[in-house]
Amino acid sequence: MPAPTVGATSSKKRKNLKESGVPSSKRRAVAENDSADVMVEISQLEEQISESRKYYNNIAKLISMLNVDENATNPNLAVAVSLCRVFSRLIAGGDMAETNRAAENEKIIAAWLKERCREYQKALSAILREGDTSAKLTAFTLCMRMISERATHIPGEDPQVWLSGLFKNVIEAVVETGDSEALRSEFLEKFAKEYEDVRFYTFVQIADIAGTKQNTKTLDILISILSACDTVPSPQHEFQNFYVKSSKKNKKLVSVNSHKKRAQDAWLAVLRNNISESQRKILLRIMVHNIEPWFSRPELLMDFLTDSYNVGGATSLLALSGLFYLIQEKNLDYPQFYQKLYSLLDADLLHSKHRSRFFRLMNTFLASTHLPATLIASFIKRLSRLALNAPPAAIVVTVPFIYNLLKSHPTCTFMLHRVIKDEAKAELEAEGMDDPFDPEEPEPVRTNAIESSLWEIHSLQQHYHPNVAAIARILSEQFTKQFYNLEDFLDYTYQGMVQAELGTEEKPMKRIPVIEYHIPKRIFTDRMLKEDGGVDTAPGSLVRGLWDFP
Amino acid sequence: MPPSQLKQLKASLRDSGVLGPQQSKKQKRQNAKSGAAAQNRVQRNAALQSIRDRFNPFEIKAGGTRTKFDVTTRDGNSGTAASRARPGVTKSLGEEKRRQTLLREMEKRNKVGGILDRRFGEDDPTMTPEERAAERYARASQRKMRKESMFNLEGDDEEEEFQLTHKGQSLNDIDQDDFQEGDLGGLEDDASDSEAARKRKRVFFDDGEIDGPEDLEDGEEHPERKKSKHEVMKEVIAKSKFHKYERQKAKEDDDDLREELDKGLPDLFEMLRGVKPPPKPEPPKSDLASMNPDRAALMEGMAKGDTEKEYDQRLKQLTFDKRSKPTDRTKTEEEKAAEEAERLKALEEERVRRMRGEEISESEDEEDEEEEGGSEMSDDESIPDDAKAFGLQQSSGQASTRPELGVEDEDDFIIDDDLVETRSDVSLSIGDSDEEVLSADESEEEVEEDEEDELINGFTLPSDNAGEAPAAADALEANEGLAYTYPCPKNHEEFLQIIQDVPMEDLPVVVQRIRALHHHRLHPDNKKKLDQFSRILIQHIAYMAEQPEHPPFAILENILRHVHSLAKSHPESVSQEFRARLREIAADRPLNLRPSDLVILTGIATTFPTSDHFHAVATPAHLCLSRYLGQGAVNTLADFATGAYAASLVLQYQSVSKRYMPELINYVLNALCNLAPEEPKSNLGLFPSRSPEASIRLKMSKSLKSRKLQFWDVTGPESTKAQEDLKLSLINTFISLLSTASDMWSELSAFLEIFDQAQKVLRFLSRSCKGRIPSIVQDTLQSTLDKFDGHTSKARLTRRPLLLHDHRPLAIKTAIPKFEDTFNPDKHYDPNRERAEANRLKAEYKRERKGAMRELRKDANFIAREKLREKKERDAEYEKKYKRLVAEVQNQEGREANAYERERRLRQGKR
Repeated sequence: MPAPTVGATSSKKRKNLKESGVPSSKRRAVAENDSADVMVEISQLEEQISESRKYYNNIAKLISMLNVDENATNPNLAVAVSLCRVFSRLIAGGDMAETNRAAENEKIIAAWLKERCREYQKALSAILREGDTSAKLTAFTLCMRMISERATHIPGEDPQVWLSGLFKNVIEAVVETGDSEALRSEFLEKFAKEYEDVRFYTFVQIADIAGTKQNTKTLDILISILSACDTVPSPQHEFQNFYVKSSKKNKKLVSVNSHKKRAQDAWLAVLRNNISESQRKILLRIMVHNIEPWFSRPELLMDFLTDSYNVGGATSLLALSGLFYLIQEKNLDYPQFYQKLYSLLDADLLHSKHRSRFFRLMNTFLASTHLPATLIASFIKRLSRLALNAPPAAIVVTVPFIYNLLKSHPTCTFMLHRVIKDEAKAELEAEGMDDPFDPEEPEPVRTNAIESSLWEIHSLQQHYHPNVAAIARILSEQFTKQFYNLEDFLDYTYQGMVQAELGTEEKPMKRIPVIEYHIPKRIFTDRMLKEDGGVDTAPGSLVRGLWDFP
Repeated sequence: MPPSQLKQLKASLRDSGVLGPQQSKKQKRQNAKSGAAAQNRVQRNAALQSIRDRFNPFEIKAGGTRTKFDVTTRDGNSGTAASRARPGVTKSLGEEKRRQTLLREMEKRNKVGGILDRRFGEDDPTMTPEERAAERYARASQRKMRKESMFNLEGDDEEEEFQLTHKGQSLNDIDQDDFQEGDLGGLEDDASDSEAARKRKRVFFDDGEIDGPEDLEDGEEHPERKKSKHEVMKEVIAKSKFHKYERQKAKEDDDDLREELDKGLPDLFEMLRGVKPPPKPEPPKSDLASMNPDRAALMEGMAKGDTEKEYDQRLKQLTFDKRSKPTDRTKTEEEKAAEEAERLKALEEERVRRMRGEEISESEDEEDEEEEGGSEMSDDESIPDDAKAFGLQQSSGQASTRPELGVEDEDDFIIDDDLVETRSDVSLSIGDSDEEVLSADESEEEVEEDEEDELINGFTLPSDNAGEAPAAADALEANEGLAYTYPCPKNHEEFLQIIQDVPMEDLPVVVQRIRALHHHRLHPDNKKKLDQFSRILIQHIAYMAEQPEHPPFAILENILRHVHSLAKSHPESVSQEFRARLREIAADRPLNLRPSDLVILTGIATTFPTSDHFHAVATPAHLCLSRYLGQGAVNTLADFATGAYAASLVLQYQSVSKRYMPELINYVLNALCNLAPEEPKSNLGLFPSRSPEASIRLKMSKSLKSRKLQFWDVTGPESTKAQEDLKLSLINTFISLLSTASDMWSELSAFLEIFDQAQKVLRFLSRSCKGRIPSIVQDTLQSTLDKFDGHTSKARLTRRPLLLHDHRPLAIKTAIPKFEDTFNPDKHYDPNRERAEANRLKAEYKRERKGAMRELRKDANFIAREKLREKKERDAEYEKKYKRLVAEVQNQEGREANAYERERRLRQGKR
């Protein structure tokens, strides 16, 4: 519908359009059938309204033609469009403004018009909720038009229409009709991201909605809307893009702080709601980039983050980065942070998909050379214990990480090289030794790890995968390299490694693989076993001993 | 005060002997005769030049800077070299050269055509005209000489036409005249002619010794000479004829000798071959003596022809014969055994080296690989990737060697050689000739082919220990029903068509026949065909294992063995196909292995040395298995059975090299925890726990039986009872796997840490099903725990703190500058060879560039000068002409003026 949007700019233009553009466009659309007749009728009614006041009753007629009385499944969109034009014209013409000076009958007319307008808006929100996708989109656009007209031309209407009026309905409709992706993306792309005032009021409305307990689905939508609005204004930002021109005069709307405040309120309301575990993870994942920048008082996030951190498992890992942000930027004092971090090193860590994220963070946390060597040693020992049960991709990260730690904390190299004193030698010969490391101790400075040795890594030098074994070997060579760039080792997977070995398509081999020189007598069966004396010791006997091959 | 310039000059002239006492006439002549005069002249020129230089200091360029201090350097004469420069000379030389080249070009510019002078030495400025002429003459006479064949003695007369003549007289004669008769006749003729002759003569002979006067002196001998020349010619002819005859004679003698030798040749052959020759017809020579001499001569002629022919034949044969070799002594049994042991030992050593990941001394290969590696990581070359240094992400591995060909399989089939032979003769209608070739080749390559032949030529293995494999025995019987020839399939579909009607049991026979029929020695294309066939076989193995009616493993095993044997001759294609299967597994179902995948992975375990540090097939296969163990599905019993098989397989992969596999431990422990009758209360170790959606815990009852697992358990059990049995069997298997693993890794330094958790799990297991499971399983459990205890205590006893950094301490980098003992500032001491080389080239380029620019500038100057000169010439000419014209005009004017004057005077006079 070109007419309404074009006519938005000024009433003069609109008049021109009314006289020349609209009818012609209508005429163009006319076809020889029923719907054509209806169209003609609608345009006729519309023209009459604009001609004289005495035809105002046509408005009621048109509203009835909308046919959204009992259910809004099949609204007449052409009527909705033309009604929108009519009301825009009336609003712009000041016909609906209440002035004290006006005559009594004028007031009555204005009140009547307002009533009709309210009816029309109700109908539109009904369409928004129940119509099909295209109807929704049309209704949505019309709603936004109406909001714009009202906020522009009716004095004092501005906050009301945004906060409690039509816009509230629109937002509610957008949020509640969860299945309608199109409507939401239309709203986000065309309005919320484009116009700053729309975004501002969206935050307000969302804070309102999230203030009460909501179900998971609604929260999902709220989170998606909020995270879509991710362009945080810088302190010097000047707000220019307003949907409604008059918004410029609104002091609240042009201040960065109030924008941030609204966003913060909206986020807080969402965070305080009863979010599910997966939503918590999603929130934690977007925490640093999408949520925290909105917060002028990030300490408000503290509760949420510490709660998440205490959940354990992957959630803790995710909360770590947000928490780190607070510690770093807001001087948050987190008691026993390293103890907590140490406790995160559990059996699943190296198998989890957040492994690389965790390693990046841990790299930051343990970067300080002022940390006690005992603590670092505990981390090293713990990691190498875990590496003993880790997939190759994890070992590949762990070993360079340990290398870097050892390089920055040379005291810990006792774990690699410990000369036995002569007096202890005899005892060692007689009794051997246990690992002095106490894996059960939760306090990382008391684990005695620095007295231990990294037998685990030494054993991993015998790893079945040649490259992993080669990496494990760096610890027993001279530490000539300053440090290993951890990023290079982080993102390996089984799939990647297999693909690196096999490639994606057949290529001629550089070297022809060696073939076993000995063709075995048996692979599955016990062929010719008797000849060999009945005892199967040939290669493959292990599988044959455990399995029957019928 | 030094003497005056003139006096100095005189003194130096005298010193150098240029000025001296006048020589007498006699002395002069003597000198001239002995050639001393010429030498003197050269000497004198040199002396004069040096004197001239000495007395003209402006000719010599002084050194750029005078030396301030006395220094000794190795190339100390550089200063003198500079002082020796003579700019005037070089300038004039350059000028001269330009005049010859550039000026020439300038003159030729805008001109087309011309005559190319091809005469010898025309454009060679170093030659004097005399030299040029002499050389030309020499060439002409050479050309003439070349035309004659060596023995063409009579050709002289015809040659006469082409000779240069002077007045109908050969020029040759003329030069002889120079020495012998002079130009008497010429003298008698008019003087101009003789003059011309002498001139020409001088052109021809400019030796400096031939002087005019001598001609006259030798003039008297003229008449005699003419005759003697003729005689000489004749004599020469006679002589050459004689020589020719001599040569022919010598040749004949040689031939005789050779013939004699030829006769002895057969004997020599015999001696060489060391074999008695076939009795040859005795040469009839002995009879000849008693024969009629005429006839004997006739016969001898014939015999001679024969022997020659025979000789030729022999010679031909000889060239095609193989060089005889000393035959091998038949070896005794012990020696054979020792040799075999030696060979096996070498192979084993090779394997161990590969296992340790040591490079086989093929440094070039290594370099190549490194280069290729470099090209592979083209995406971010600027950023050195630490991880790539360890071969991560790169598919190229380090150690894999070329396959040793000629490796014999010490399998048992060699025994059935006779059987093999006969059968192959009957069944494999190979042409006789082919057979011959085959057998001939086989004698050499026997070793290589033995194992192959065994697999090709007879499915003899089951018949050896008959009764053990009835299916195979059936195959033998069924042989008769099979066709003898099969086409070599090009893809798997074709192969399936071929074996459509063949019963499963006969498949090995078909495979064997296809291999035999397309033996690579029968046709060069067969190698390619068999390449393809080996791939098809691998595909077929996977295909068979997927069939719902499970094919007997004896057949699978046989085909796998066939593949292995094919792999020896076609390693590339077999490895490629295995890799393709692995790729498929990795792409499609890395976490849900199918029975066919397991069979393929088992095949890899036997076909390739899995103990290698890196192996292009075994390493990815290992990774596939580990991935399955680490991440594979653990939902059903079938999954666990598959896992158990995969675990056994990886253990088998590492049975020799004993490398550590975290995934195996994780999987086995996790599986035991999941199969245990109760859920463990706490975490039993650092292995990640993964549990199935539906519990598969063992429901305990006394009636359970543990059995050996069957391969097809990987598809899941049928009934609930079987299910419980299977669980128990799985538990049993996992325990024994742990036990094997503990044996394998008892040497690892972290044995305690690894098996601590295993111990915990087993203890928990034994606690949770105490007395309620069959005693066999209980026994296994207990014995494994005991074994753990043994290993643990041993490991504790042998545990020592690590001493990994027992390296020599790194030297601190020295900051002392490196002093050069014999430092020379002109020399460049760049330790970086490449940079030094580049600098040298740069300097050279700069020098050359400067030189070229200088030359160009000089050229431009020269051209400008020449142009100016031309212009001046033109101007002068114009000026001259102008002046002449002016003079002429003035002349005329003057005359007119005179005439006018005259007229005027006349008029005045009149008046």
